[in-house]
Amino acid sequence: MGTENPGRPSFPATPFAAAPPTMTPFSNSGSVVGSEASNLRPMRPTVPPNTSPPMTAGPAGSGESPAFRPAPPTRYNDPSLPTPPSSYGPPAAGTFNRFPTPPFGSMPPGPPARAPVVGQPPFQPPPSQVSPPLSFRPQGQIPGVPMGSPPPGVNTPQIDSSFPASRPNFQPSFPPTVSGYPAAGASSQLPLPGYVKQSNAPFQAPQGPPVQSPFQAPPVGYAPSAPTPSPQFLSQQGGLAQAPPVASPYGLHSRDQIQHSSTMPPMGAMQGLIEDFSSLSIGSVPGSIDPGVDSKSLPRPLEGDVEPNSLPEGYSLNCNPRYLRLTTNAIPNSQSLVSRWHLPLGAVVCPLAQAPQGEEVSVLNFVSSGIIRCRRCRTYVNPFVTFTDSGRKWRCNICALLNDVPGDYFAHLDATGRRVDLDQRPELTKGSVEFVAPTEYMVRPPMPPLYFFLIDVSISAVRSGMIEVVAKTIKSCLDDLPGFPRTQIGFITYDSTVHFYNMKSSLTQPQMMVVSDLDDIFIPLPDDLLVNLSESRTVVEAFLDSLPTMFQDNLNMESAFGPALKAAFMVMSQLGGKLLIFQNTMPSLGVGRLKLRGDDPRAYGTDKEYSLRVPEDPFYKQMAADFTKYQIGVNVYAFSDKYSDLASIGTLAKYTGGQLYYYPSFQAANHSEKLSHELTRDLTRETAWEAVMRIRCGKGIRFTSYHGNFMLRSTDLVALPAVDCDKAYAMQLSLEETLLTNQTVYFQVALLYTASCGERRIRVHTAAAPVVSDLGEMYRQADTGAIVSMLSRLAIEKTMSSKLEDVRSNVHLRIVKALREYRNLYAVQHRLGGRLIYPESLKFLPLYGLALCKSTPLRGGYSDVPLDERCAAGFTMMALPVKKLLKLLYPSLVQLDDYLLKPSASADEFRKVMKRLPLTADSLDSRGLYVYDDGLQIVLWFGRMLSPDIAMNLLGPDAAAELSRVTLMERETEMSRRLMGLLKKLRESDPSYHQLCHLVRQGEQPREGFMVLTKLVEDQTGGTNGYVDWLIQLHRQVQQNA
Amino acid sequence: MCLADLEFDYINPYDSSSRINKAIMPEYITEAALCLFYLVTGHWCMSLICAPYLYYNVRLYTRQKHLIDVTEIFNQLHAEKKQRLCKLFYLIVLLFLAIFWMILTALEDHDMD
Repeated sequence: MGTENPGRPSFPATPFAAAPPTMTPFSNSGSVVGSEASNLRPMRPTVPPNTSPPMTAGPAGSGESPAFRPAPPTRYNDPSLPTPPSSYGPPAAGTFNRFPTPPFGSMPPGPPARAPVVGQPPFQPPPSQVSPPLSFRPQGQIPGVPMGSPPPGVNTPQIDSSFPASRPNFQPSFPPTVSGYPAAGASSQLPLPGYVKQSNAPFQAPQGPPVQSPFQAPPVGYAPSAPTPSPQFLSQQGGLAQAPPVASPYGLHSRDQIQHSSTMPPMGAMQGLIEDFSSLSIGSVPGSIDPGVDSKSLPRPLEGDVEPNSLPEGYSLNCNPRYLRLTTNAIPNSQSLVSRWHLPLGAVVCPLAQAPQGEEVSVLNFVSSGIIRCRRCRTYVNPFVTFTDSGRKWRCNICALLNDVPGDYFAHLDATGRRVDLDQRPELTKGSVEFVAPTEYMVRPPMPPLYFFLIDVSISAVRSGMIEVVAKTIKSCLDDLPGFPRTQIGFITYDSTVHFYNMKSSLTQPQMMVVSDLDDIFIPLPDDLLVNLSESRTVVEAFLDSLPTMFQDNLNMESAFGPALKAAFMVMSQLGGKLLIFQNTMPSLGVGRLKLRGDDPRAYGTDKEYSLRVPEDPFYKQMAADFTKYQIGVNVYAFSDKYSDLASIGTLAKYTGGQLYYYPSFQAANHSEKLSHELTRDLTRETAWEAVMRIRCGKGIRFTSYHGNFMLRSTDLVALPAVDCDKAYAMQLSLEETLLTNQTVYFQVALLYTASCGERRIRVHTAAAPVVSDLGEMYRQADTGAIVSMLSRLAIEKTMSSKLEDVRSNVHLRIVKALREYRNLYAVQHRLGGRLIYPESLKFLPLYGLALCKSTPLRGGYSDVPLDERCAAGFTMMALPVKKLLKLLYPSLVQLDDYLLKPSASADEFRKVMKRLPLTADSLDSRGLYVYDDGLQIVLWFGRMLSPDIAMNLLGPDAAAELSRVTLMERETEMSRRLMGLLKKLRESDPSYHQLCHLVRQGEQPREGFMVLTKLVEDQTGGTNGYVDWLIQLHRQVQQNA
Repeated sequence: MCLADLEFDYINPYDSSSRINKAIMPEYITEAALCLFYLVTGHWCMSLICAPYLYYNVRLYTRQKHLIDVTEIFNQLHAEKKQRLCKLFYLIVLLFLAIFWMILTALEDHDMD
């Protein structure tokens, strides 16, 4: 590390140059280096370095222990101690004086002393050695332990490295209120990377204590970072570990907080450990009412989902994590290790994830030579295969078989064994590629994109205005349907009878045919029910124009959904395609009629509870299976305001790889925007037709169970009649052999599909992961996002066979088990006493676990969520990709009033404004305006004391009215325009759903309750745990039989 | 019954489940008939041994779980296989008992003579 000081040169000039020394304690030890280096790596700014604290550091630390050993108090005066430049801040100076005299141990009492102590002239050491802040933790734990003072001079290099890392995180204007953070920030340097950002914040907070001014002078992000690290380190040495001193100066620091890494014994040997996990001191005072946890400093994913990025260089050829994420990037090498890993082990795959501009998957045409695949395991050629025998053979990375290289594909190897044409071969350099498949991959000619609409025209559909919106939207999308000119389209409508439409291109008006024999449904015309869109365009348009008026006066209340479904199946079974169902009434006639089994409150809490959530009539499952067989994907749009048994109807979407959209009590006036946006997206997004997906993996492991919306065609072949970028699938791994001998395992996802243009393609994603024998390494490489995604799918599946209560406790139990195992790994040897420890990589797991238990499908009981909504949310969550799921579980909450009041806003500022707040009622200030966005809806929350000016500007004369009846629209004021602009940006950031904007005023019950308050997952609502209680509960259980 | 293993690899779930489902009702009916037959002919001991099996079938049937579900077939594969193996084992024991009984009675008859 010493060698890399790139950032350093610039520092000396600034007062902060002194800061670097803070690291000193570690630097002396020298051992630190290895571990830290990885942590500090600049490349991962957002993720605090700590995330992957190397365990390996441990050994080094022990060697150095002498350095760490508490030094006598006198040490303190040692010149090596940091003496920041005088510029460091006048305020600091005052405090600083105190330090020299008292031994460290005495320090605890004076809170003022904690201030970042910096520039005292007497102390001025060479800049490099300076270690400015000494921080004492307010509570003064273990005062008796002297702080170790670092040997002079050694540390500087360390510091430098930390700088780059800190810079990116820098965030201006963090609200001063965040008292907890400073502490966290300081500690974060080592143990908790995630916090880095926050730690800086205090410094920059404009309103902050006087101290801040000194900081601001220096180049922006640096100042804060420098001081913070040092306190942490010092404290660790001393065993004080507690609070980063930095915080105290600001006075923001509260007495109790998370103490990361603070737990170490005084011995220096612990350093490796420090970096290894984070800990919370919880319940340190047994029996006391105050749990001793500062809720403000608990870990929160305010940055959204962060993809793990900790893999070593060797895995740079992996496909992007947006396509494939493993729950842990270290595969256990033995059964016994698997059984100690209590979290799910597997992968979450989103084969068609939307890539940002410029990173699209390249399409390769191998039609002439055939696609290169392994003879035995059928693996596609990928970056991990090795060429041998001067390029004539290649070794499959998955099954290790030597294959011949076909003549067309031959290239010589250079001296290092690389193919000379490597640069021209994307399939050998990129983790994700797409092959154009030759005819061997087709069982029939590629099908054209086909859209078939099944529309309910009974009275409730007419009344709600659904038909009109649908007809209009479809018509506006006709130009954008993918696959022109091959696209096919067709319609059936139904009430108590089934209506077919002949759209032959020679007609000017569509012909309607009514079939009322529901028991034995038949198709009145052999063809022309399904027509080529470009040929019959005028007829289709005429039909869509007349559709709303045609059924205007329809008084029919029945719904022959089952027979209509069968009819649609018969029409489509030739080709396959996508069936869109618009359903408004309970199916009441013919096969598949459903009873109004209702949402029975008495069933909740009993063993029969689950039966409400499983399909009642096997007809739907059977239909779904048949649909999949004939490559038909079903999307269900449900609109009913009454109970309509989505549990049964939703299975159609579930087993055909589709989606269920639910619009409870649909009214065209309120919901038309949402419906038309989502329908448009559904119709126009790039879709992969008649797809099958298989994931292959190396010898010794096997994917055993699959979770998501699809149907399995054989043990490992996932049938997906229509896939798109908004769908993800999860699968779990198991080991087939007791011991894995290979060093690395490879995964290859292959999706064979027909693109809308009519080309058959194979999309291949390849990734590698190391095999490890150490449980700690598995924890370090864990991916919270993938784990949460997997856990939620498992939990939702479990709601189909057991009580909600059991499902929730199951989630809880899994987290407890995982943390307990982790604790067993470390706690004993390091005497961690009463602290909750968790790996850095899983710091958000408890919170997401809590959020999952409070999510719509799992929340509460009968009265909390209507059954249909629960089922619909379950189907949706089974398909969501990781990022969107995490956003749904822990939505963003952002304060807007400041932004709206500020005169000018640039795009750059937008990002600053979007600072997410913790989801608790405490974050809501009654003087503010907040926006809550979970990816499915947006809620604007108006504080009670919000300045009337803002409300007037945004809502105009409606400001005083009840907000449930007010719709937000753009008005002639600047503020309104900016708000709308902002909402638009929010929506653009997540286009797969349209987030309808609801307005809620504080205190407006019950709307506020169910729209906002119950969604604040960290709060205690209606008998559920708050975040703090949840952690305490987890902690207690982890400790039991630990 | 053994189709469960068969489709492990080669048959597609649609065929296998429809084949299995076809066999299930006849099986239940035969079983029930056999049990009744024992009862009526006075072999109450044998019919008693058959009873649990019959009861299990009836229970499955009333819960609508007797047929294989195409969509979930792979998730249920293990449980189904286990269930069917148990049933098979039970049936074999039953068969042996029946034969044993038969021989016993035959011998007795013989002795009587």
